[in-house]
Amino acid sequence: MAETVPYSEKLKKWDRMESGKFGGKAPVTTLYPFVDVEKPPEYRGIPHINPEKCVGCGACVNACPPDALIMEWDKEHGVKRLTYNAARCIRCARCIEVCPTGAMEPTTRFEIASNSKEDLVEVVEHKLAYCEECGEYLDFTERQIEYVKNILPKDVFDLYSLEDRMKLTQEEKMRKTVVTLRETEGNVYPAFVLVGESTKEKGGEE
Amino acid sequence: MGKQRLKSVWVYHVDAGSCNGCDIEVLDVISPYYDLERLGVKVVPNPRHADALLITGPLTRQTRISLKKTYEAMPPKPRIVVAIGTCASSGGIFYNSYALYNTSPQRGRDRLRSGGPEMIVPIDMYIPGCPPSPEEILYGISQLLGIREKKMKGEYWYALPPEERARRESEIEFKIPDRPIPLRYWLTLREELRRVVGYFDRDAVLEDFMTLVGKAFEDEKPREKLHDLVTGYFLKEKDSRVGFAMRFLENEFWRLVDEYLEWGEALREKYPVTAGV
Repeated sequence: MAETVPYSEKLKKWDRMESGKFGGKAPVTTLYPFVDVEKPPEYRGIPHINPEKCVGCGACVNACPPDALIMEWDKEHGVKRLTYNAARCIRCARCIEVCPTGAMEPTTRFEIASNSKEDLVEVVEHKLAYCEECGEYLDFTERQIEYVKNILPKDVFDLYSLEDRMKLTQEEKMRKTVVTLRETEGNVYPAFVLVGESTKEKGGEE
Repeated sequence: MGKQRLKSVWVYHVDAGSCNGCDIEVLDVISPYYDLERLGVKVVPNPRHADALLITGPLTRQTRISLKKTYEAMPPKPRIVVAIGTCASSGGIFYNSYALYNTSPQRGRDRLRSGGPEMIVPIDMYIPGCPPSPEEILYGISQLLGIREKKMKGEYWYALPPEERARRESEIEFKIPDRPIPLRYWLTLREELRRVVGYFDRDAVLEDFMTLVGKAFEDEKPREKLHDLVTGYFLKEKDSRVGFAMRFLENEFWRLVDEYLEWGEALREKYPVTAGV
């Protein structure tokens, strides 16, 4: 694409009067419901979730003003669902702007009217990561872990030995930290003593 | 609504607390370019003559009684209701406002996002959009008249974890696209590019830049080669903003590469031993 067509040329494909369909001369009234038409490439149609790229981070859910995107949690089955409903969407494209993987894709689709709302729903179901030491599901998905592994350089993983700690819950991580500290330095206060002191100090200041 | 064949539908337009955006689009549909009347649709000033009701707006408490009375005043036989706009389909951006009449148990946060006029009247056609463009309204009404087919379909995808392979059609494997540079460079460039060309054009521009980088790293001197390629792109591109964005990307990319190299060495000096804490 970089060689053949410049980017600004590509945007000019759209022909508003659809003149080719009427022998070079377009009538005043559009023939739309009887012929197919296309919207311009900048047109804001409903966004579409690409399930190949989506990691289930929920950035779009935080950004969505009318809550067309909602995250449903199901920790018992280890699943979280990203539900999108076009009936609530106002096409502000905030989700496209904030998506860190490019999974939210803008489309120029405009033929979305339907007689039931079930047709407008789009759901992506993600599997949560599982902590084998605690037997609990974590807050984030396995895809998120994989994505973070790709972002951070290998040196950082070796430095903090992140590979072993990534699939643990917060409590298990703290427990492991205390254990390693005890092994390396020998003489460390137990974790609950440190926590107790800090809360007392905060209470005194208030 | 039933299964009768509709020929010429007379409609009555109700504003249930709309912001006037959708009302203006309804006016647009009647205008000569999108002429709705050639389909036999006529806007009438009285609900007693109307076969269909066009509702715009999220159903405020003030308009609730009048909408109910309008619906009851219509002749009982076809009694078609068309919800125009996101507000009329589901409450829209106002869905949890105190001024709206919304009796759904989860206050509009369920899967179907219930809200709006569907609280008191059954709706036959939802035309979402904020506001819907005249073509969308034309499509919705021509679908009622049997000219066009329904295109949308509900979708349910199972996003598989990275190692698993798909066995059904609805299961989708995880893929990170192959790029010539590491993911963290790509993410930073993408965020920086948003400030230059905006969120809409950035993906296409960045894709072009990736191809240039891929070519430049095949050469022995990537810096000089990339500079040549970007200059060539700059000369060919007529839109000066895109050319400027490519220049910006080139500078930013080499700045990132140098910075990460520096940080890596600084980290190695600071922590020579990895303790695992």
